[in-house]
Amino acid sequence: MSGGPLAGVRVLEIGGGIPAAFATRWMAGFGAEVVRSEGPPEALTEDEGIYLLAGKRRISVVEPTTLRRLALAADIVVEDRKPGTLAAWGMAPEDLRAEKPALVIVSITPFGQRGPYAGWEATNLTAFAAGGIHSLTGHPSRPPLQTGGSQALYLGGLHGFAAAITAYFGALVHGEGDWIDLAIQEIQAGMLELYGPRSEYEGGPSPRTGNHVRAVWGLYPCADGYAGVCALERQVPALFALVGDPALEEERFRDFTQRAEHDDELQAILYGWFADKTRAELLELGRKHKVPIGAVLTPLELLASEGLAERGFFDTVETNEGSARVPGRPFLGLPWVPGRWEAPGESTAAVLREWLGEEGVG
Amino acid sequence: MKRLPLEGIRVADLTMVWAGPFATKILAEMGAEVIKVESPQAWDLVRTLIPMPGVEEFWNCSYYFNDYNRDKKSVTLHLADPRGRELFLRLVERSDVVIENYRADVLDKLGLGYEVLRERKRDIILVSMAGFGKTGPEREYVGYGPIIEQMAGLASLTGYGDDGVPYKTGISYGDPVAGAAAAGAVALALIRRQRTGEGAFIDLAQREVMATLIGEAFVRASLRREVPPHRGNRDERYAPQGVYRCFGEDRWVAISVRSDEEWRRLAQAIGRPDLASLTLPERKARHDELDRAIEAWTEQIRPQVAAQVLQAVGVPAAPVIDTEAIHDDPNLVAREFWVALPHPRMKPWRQPRSPWRLAEAKPTPRRHAPLFGEHNTEILSGLLGLSQEEIAELEAAGIVGRAPVNARPGG
Repeated sequence: MSGGPLAGVRVLEIGGGIPAAFATRWMAGFGAEVVRSEGPPEALTEDEGIYLLAGKRRISVVEPTTLRRLALAADIVVEDRKPGTLAAWGMAPEDLRAEKPALVIVSITPFGQRGPYAGWEATNLTAFAAGGIHSLTGHPSRPPLQTGGSQALYLGGLHGFAAAITAYFGALVHGEGDWIDLAIQEIQAGMLELYGPRSEYEGGPSPRTGNHVRAVWGLYPCADGYAGVCALERQVPALFALVGDPALEEERFRDFTQRAEHDDELQAILYGWFADKTRAELLELGRKHKVPIGAVLTPLELLASEGLAERGFFDTVETNEGSARVPGRPFLGLPWVPGRWEAPGESTAAVLREWLGEEGVG
Repeated sequence: MKRLPLEGIRVADLTMVWAGPFATKILAEMGAEVIKVESPQAWDLVRTLIPMPGVEEFWNCSYYFNDYNRDKKSVTLHLADPRGRELFLRLVERSDVVIENYRADVLDKLGLGYEVLRERKRDIILVSMAGFGKTGPEREYVGYGPIIEQMAGLASLTGYGDDGVPYKTGISYGDPVAGAAAAGAVALALIRRQRTGEGAFIDLAQREVMATLIGEAFVRASLRREVPPHRGNRDERYAPQGVYRCFGEDRWVAISVRSDEEWRRLAQAIGRPDLASLTLPERKARHDELDRAIEAWTEQIRPQVAAQVLQAVGVPAAPVIDTEAIHDDPNLVAREFWVALPHPRMKPWRQPRSPWRLAEAKPTPRRHAPLFGEHNTEILSGLLGLSQEEIAELEAAGIVGRAPVNARPGG
């Protein structure tokens, strides 16, 4: 038993794609015993599987009746199948909850368990489209652009983790779990920053703003790639001092209200300022002058980051292709154990024996 | 009435702007008593970021602030003053969790680091959410919003693919991502405290949380030294996939084809049975041409209609929903996602419910975001036992306030 905060907690992942697999990855790292019942093989790519399945016991089950018994032997069940799947298998969440009041069940789907879109087919792209963020991302003169990776599905997993753990704490204290119906569309619709409430309060959709919400809140080409600045009003004087262009002393740039009318001009100055500096130089200037400056770094560059190495961010997963280095603990302060990658079905017999007291392969 | 998971938990909330308030908003939605601590000299700048024109007390009239601070209480304390700091420590003694998202060095400079808090409350849980963490050579970087996704590798993956330009996400994406993770960290630490009696110091770097959402890109980079190409709205597995122009201004529908069968049905639906037998390699090779064929169909109809026609034959499709239309989206409306709450200074508007739909405990937004210092008396007198005279003295000394000092638009 590791010393993790979830040591001894039994989690059944009914996989599933990224949402269920990501939600339970953090549970495994923080000490829970996670058993993954395999889903359709196409639900995860090989690279996704290497990242998301490390640290889990993998079983190829099995009769729905056996899966049902495993669910009742668990403390937390996480699933991302189409709504109604569990019920069709004779293990409706309401019934499981009635049989075991302390059980926490999290169902993660693109559109939720009920509602007119509940039966809709979806991929990461279509789930992202329905959440609002997609409409805000990309250049105003081009189509909406999806954010990289599989963000809609990962958001489902992130909230799946946090919601499940919160409900599990509730079960520890109050004695009762719950069934959580997480809709990825709602997760996104609830994180629309200024733009969601503004549209509702003032009317009219918020437009895409490309890489420049404002000149002082944008992304610029620099000598060896791209770098960004995100200055709030309190940091604008420090940014202007750093840029050092005498024109920036003028009231039309200093004043918050007037500046908006001269944004193109200010952008031009900043394009010029960024152009001849490297990302490393810009980051150092930002640090020194307390101006929020960032640089567009690639995963390959981050693998070589001294800062991330010093903080022990990456885990190693042994694969047939060699050692993969992947993001590890999401935060420091609670014990985290990097997981070993198992082959599909490797633990079927052991889990049936340990969880259900059954001998022989299920 | 079934209890919410965090009922009985008290949070002393020092967070500001977005990542932290997003985390404590979740804690409040899940039943915790969240006490937001602001200073009359240094308030949550989102209160004053986008002021409504011509409104008195504009710091109390921000829909932006409201959405991320609902269900919390507000107390004001000037923490840089020893008397304000001491009152905060007395609040810590009565709290389970302290959470902050200052720049990495600020909490220690206020004399409120973990060891100090621990002396006042042995099992306190402190969650710090600096952009780049509390340790390491990058801890001094200032990390607002889009900077997090740039520094986490995500922005490098986002782009149309034909111009080499990386793109920022249309919101400050790293903030709510870190916020959700921080809410999970609080629950994990509470579980451990419940089992062992120990507190915790959580050092959450927003950049690191963000990087966990692109794990497979690190697998690819470490095993094969590859950086994924910008793929626009396409996918490496599915073709065709994209966002297609529809009838109307800036209206789009997203469509994904995952199999030969789905493609056959889509080709029929758009009136192009001649293309129905194309295989995946053929569809990838002719992706541009197929995009034009699909768009010739979508351009004639509205996104909702296109999505419904394709869903009726089992093909993944959804409208790209903008920030206005999302408030009337049939699925969200049917699920009662939007809730209009009264506000003492503003007209009611529809606000998002918690997406954590606990089927039995049914979390529901209870109250508007607090006015500045609205709960000063309740907290300082009711919880900390100060007399009215003491509170009046603190107000006179500028340690407790009823309004931000010298508030200006723009944060």
